[in-house]
Amino acid sequence: MPHSADKRGSFTRLEARLRLRRPHQQLQRSNLQERARSPGIQDLHNQRARPEKGSKIKTFHIYRWNPDEPTQKPRMQSYTLDLNKTGPMMLDALIRIKNEVDPTLTFRRSCREGICGSCAMNIDGINTLACLCRIPTDTKKASRIYPLPHTYVVKDLVPDLTQFYKQYRSIKPYLQRSTPPPDGREYRQSKAERKKLDGLYECILCACCSTSCPSYWWNSEEYLGPAVLLQSYRWIADSRDEKKAERKDALNNSMSLYRCHTILNCSRTCPKGLNPALAIAEIKKSMAFT
Amino acid sequence: MASVIRPTLLRQAFAAPSKRVLSTSTIASSAFKSSTLSSRRPLQSALAQDALPKSARIAAFHGTGSRMILPPLPQRIQGTVNDPASVPDPTPAHGSYHWTFERIVAAGLVPLTIAPFAAGSLNPLTDATLCALVLIHSHIGFESIIIDYVPTHRMPGVRKLFMWGLKLATLLVGVGLYEFETNDVGVTEAVKRIWKA
Repeated sequence: MPHSADKRGSFTRLEARLRLRRPHQQLQRSNLQERARSPGIQDLHNQRARPEKGSKIKTFHIYRWNPDEPTQKPRMQSYTLDLNKTGPMMLDALIRIKNEVDPTLTFRRSCREGICGSCAMNIDGINTLACLCRIPTDTKKASRIYPLPHTYVVKDLVPDLTQFYKQYRSIKPYLQRSTPPPDGREYRQSKAERKKLDGLYECILCACCSTSCPSYWWNSEEYLGPAVLLQSYRWIADSRDEKKAERKDALNNSMSLYRCHTILNCSRTCPKGLNPALAIAEIKKSMAFT
Repeated sequence: MASVIRPTLLRQAFAAPSKRVLSTSTIASSAFKSSTLSSRRPLQSALAQDALPKSARIAAFHGTGSRMILPPLPQRIQGTVNDPASVPDPTPAHGSYHWTFERIVAAGLVPLTIAPFAAGSLNPLTDATLCALVLIHSHIGFESIIIDYVPTHRMPGVRKLFMWGLKLATLLVGVGLYEFETNDVGVTEAVKRIWKA
C-alpha cells in the first residue's frame, strides 16, 4: 500500500510538471484571443469544411439532454475538433467545444488537474475524470462521452449526486472522540498509524467508482457503494477515532456493506489509482469474527 | 437511465406543461411551448382536460394499452444533500455472522470436493456433509441474487414470494438428497458411475 501511494505521488507530480511545460491556461488564453481576433461561427464552419493540411480531426459524440425540453429524447451530438489546436486532455476538448462551437453544452469542471472531482464522466466506456483522461490520438475512432452511468441526469453531462452525498453524510465522515487528547493539546499518531490512512485520504469523492459498480446500480438506495465505504474505512482505520464499534455496527446489515460482491470495477476505474475494493475487504475482515 | 426517465417526463409534459418539475426557466418553457408545440396544440388541449382521468390521458399515447405492472418511482431523490441517508439497525445475523458463515461453508466445500478423488468413493457421513454444504451454499447464493434483484423497497410482495419459493425449493432438494443418500447410492458414487458410464 505505501509503495503504491508513493508511486501515485510521483505520478501526480510528474503530471503537474508536464502541465507546466505545456500550460493549459496559455492554451485557453490563445483560444480566447483567436476568438477575439476574428473568426465568427461562419469561419469556424469553413475551417471545418476545408481542414488544413496536417490537421488531426477527431470526432466526439457527446450525450445531450435538456430538462427544459422534456419531450425530446436524449441524443448523441457530434463535434469535430482539430487535435493540433486542442489541449491534450478530454476536458480541454470539452472546454474548447463549449467556448468555440456550442455554448449550450453543459458539464461540471473546476480544477482541471484531478483534485476537485467535478468532471467525472463516462468517457469511451470508462468512468474517469475528463481532466485526467488523455484524448486518444487515433483520429479514426470517435470518442463517446456520457454522464456517469445509472444516475439521474440534471442536464447533458451533469449527473445528480444527491444520493451519493446523502450516503456520505450518513457515515459521519469526521473524527469522533469522547476523551480529550492525552497531552491536552493534540491527538497524536505514530508514523505507522498514519501510514494506514495512505490510499484512503486521497479520495476526492468523484463518484466514478460508485457509479461503475453494478451492485450500486441496482441497490443505490440501501447499498453505500465503494466510495462511501472507502471513506467509512478511512475513519475505522484512523487510530484517533473512538467510535469504531458504532461505525461498524452501522454497516452490520445485509445491505449497507454486504452488497459488495467483489466485482472490482471500483478499483479498476478509480482515476486516482486508489483501491476501494481493498478497503471494503478490510472492513469485512475486521467485522468477520466479532 | 435516461430511458427510464423519458416516459414520466413525456407524461408530465403532455398532461400539464406548466407543472414541469425540471423546468429551469419559465420564459424558456413558454417560448418552447409556443414555438414547437403549436402544431400539437389542439391535441394537447383536448388531452389536458382535467375531466379526463390521468390514466386515460396516458393511454391515449400508447398504441397498446399501458399495463402498470411496475409503475416508475418518482424520478427524483428525496431530500437534500444535507439529509443523511437512513442507517439501518445492526443485524449481525444478516451481516457479519452471515458473511463469516458463508465463507466457512464455501471454504469447507473445497476439501470435501477434492476428497472423493483422493479416497475413491466417500463414506456416507462425509457424503452427507458434502450434500448439506452444497445445499446451504446454493441457498445462500440464490438468496443473495434475490436480495440484489428483487429489492424490498420496490416490490415487497414479490420479494416475499421469491424468498418463500427459495425456501420451498431448498427444502425439496434437501428431502430429495436425503432420499438419494439413504435409499440409493449417494452423490459421489452416482457421479462416479455417470463418469464411467
